[in-house]
Formats: sequence, structure tokens, C-alpha cells
Amino acid sequence: MRLVQIITLFLLIITFGVNADGLVVDKVYHPYVTAGEQSVEWRLLSSETSTKNRLGQRFGYGFSLTEDMTLESYLVAERDENNNFGVQAFETELRWMLTEQGQYWADWGLLLEAEIADVDGGRNYEITAGAMFEKEIDKTSLTVNLFVVQEWGETVPNETELEVRAQYRYRYRSEIQPAIELYTGENFIGVGPAIIGLKRFGGKKQLKWELGFITEVAHDGKDHSLRMALEYEF
Amino acid sequence: MKTLNIFLLVVIFTTFDVKSAKDTFYLYLESHLFYPSELVIPANKKVKLIIENKDSTPEEFDSFDLNREKVIYPGRKVTIYIGPLKPGRYEYFGEFNPNTALGTIIVESDRHVH
Repeated sequence: MRLVQIITLFLLIITFGVNADGLVVDKVYHPYVTAGEQSVEWRLLSSETSTKNRLGQRFGYGFSLTEDMTLESYLVAERDENNNFGVQAFETELRWMLTEQGQYWADWGLLLEAEIADVDGGRNYEITAGAMFEKEIDKTSLTVNLFVVQEWGETVPNETELEVRAQYRYRYRSEIQPAIELYTGENFIGVGPAIIGLKRFGGKKQLKWELGFITEVAHDGKDHSLRMALEYEF
Repeated sequence: MKTLNIFLLVVIFTTFDVKSAKDTFYLYLESHLFYPSELVIPANKKVKLIIENKDSTPEEFDSFDLNREKVIYPGRKVTIYIGPLKPGRYEYFGEFNPNTALGTIIVESDRHVH
């Protein structure tokens, strides 16, 4: 486990002095990888405040590179300021399972993500690096993501953000796993219920679904986010 | 930033391997059947389960009860860590041969485990 500790110490050193902002409602990542697996995924995020309504969708394909590493790429489509909905970004993410599930007090993984986006006529870039943590407590699981995001480009300021996501899930049955989720950035704290499920179809085929409704709680005024995700693994 | 630093310190502490003796148990897969089909392990203890695939095709150990999923390639062994669990029956199956590759982990209090 020395590798995890070295990587963590490195993150600890480089993240002193990082600032954070922004909305982070998306998905809570789990630190596990299944060997030989492929997946296609669709995610939707619809958020509404008293002044605007935002819509984002992403379509992804992923496959496991090794027994503990998986690569997934996404096309990201969002509605822009002029109400036009179209593909804005391409994103690739690498997830690395660092510890064997259940071996230590908690399970750990790393995520590295790179995004290239065309927004408001300018080319922007984003790199995300962070840790995924999961602790099993009887029939429940606590998952926490901590991501450091670096953005730069022609239409966004050069800045470093911090995102924390958490999910506390009750593994009631495979198809129905109620959860509470938390998403935070410097100016955003969102919390709300979610439901997660999984249906197996034989062989390696299975469908996972997630549905969550997150409400911003740090400020006055309306700010709700509905998130959905469907992932077919084969 | 304080939150992040606390979080990262937690990583360091939670990945130290506690040198507690983990009991080790064995399963093997042959002709798409798990042997023994019922395995008794102690309650309230973390145990190490080594599974060997003697078949010529891969299998995936899958259990919602145990919250574990692990591919076992032909001729290879994998290690799965389970528990601490409460007494009870925990079902598992092989995802590629779910009609034959079935088994149960029976968790009993210490005095019943041999």
C-alpha cells in the first residue's frame, strides 16, 4: 500500500492553496474496476434556478484496459446561452483501482480526466485528478470523491477548482438501492436523495441506473438539479 | 483547503495494512461448479477467500449479498476479502454460468467454524 500513500502525499503537497468554485452535480464514482468489461453510458443533468435552466447530456463508451484500470470517453452536449443544444466537448477518463475491495479499512481508486471543449466560440481545456474512496458498513456503502480540476482556455479563466462528491447508499436489493448524495464546491452545497439499481441479464450483460434530485442548500433561491444515468455493461 | 488536507491524511491512515491475522479459506471452480458449494466462515471477522479457476474458460464471481464482483481467468487464482459479516447465508454465483456455478457462504459464530 506504499503506492497509495506516496500518491496521496503528492496530492497533499500540490493541493495546498487550491481555490474552489462551481457546480459539481454529476455522478459519484466508485473505486472499482471489473476486468474484461465494456460499457456504454448516457447521463443527463437538468438544473433549474430562478433565472435559468441548464441541460447537459453525455454519451460514453468505456472498456477495461487491465484488471484494475478502465478507460472511458464521452461526447458532452449542453444547451448554450442562446438555447442551442449541441455537442460541446470531448472527454476521456482513466479510473485506476488502487486497492482490492475489502482488503483495507477502506477501498481507494484514482481518476484522471482530460476534456477539450468549444464554448462561446473559444477552445477550452480541463484536467481533473482525484481520489475515490469507498467504505462498506454492513448493508450500506459510503463513497467519497475528491477531485482537483484545472481549467484554462480562450473563454474561461485559468483556475483550479475543488470538487467533493459523496454518496451514502443502502444496498437494499440489487434493483433498488436508495442513497443520499452530497455535491460541494466553494459556492455550492447540494444535497438530495437518489436511487441506484442494477439488473443482470446473464453472461456479462447488466444495466445500471441512477436517478438523483439535488437541492442547493447554501444559498437562498431556487437551484434544483435532476440527474439520471443509464449504463449498459457487456 | 483544510477539508482536502484532512481528507488526504485520512487516505494515508486508512491504507495502512492492519497486521491482524486474516483467516484464509479456499474455493475452486471445476466444470462450472464451485467446490465446496457451501463454505462456513466465522462471523464478525474479515477473511481472505482464495478462488481457483480450474476450467479453461473465465468466470466471474458475483454476489450482491457479499458486495463482491471479480473475474477469474482460466487456470488462475484470485483473492477476495470479505467481512466482517453477521451470521447468515450469503449467496454467490458465476456470472458466465449462473445455472451451475452457484454457492453459499455460511457465516457462523466462531465456535461453529472448523
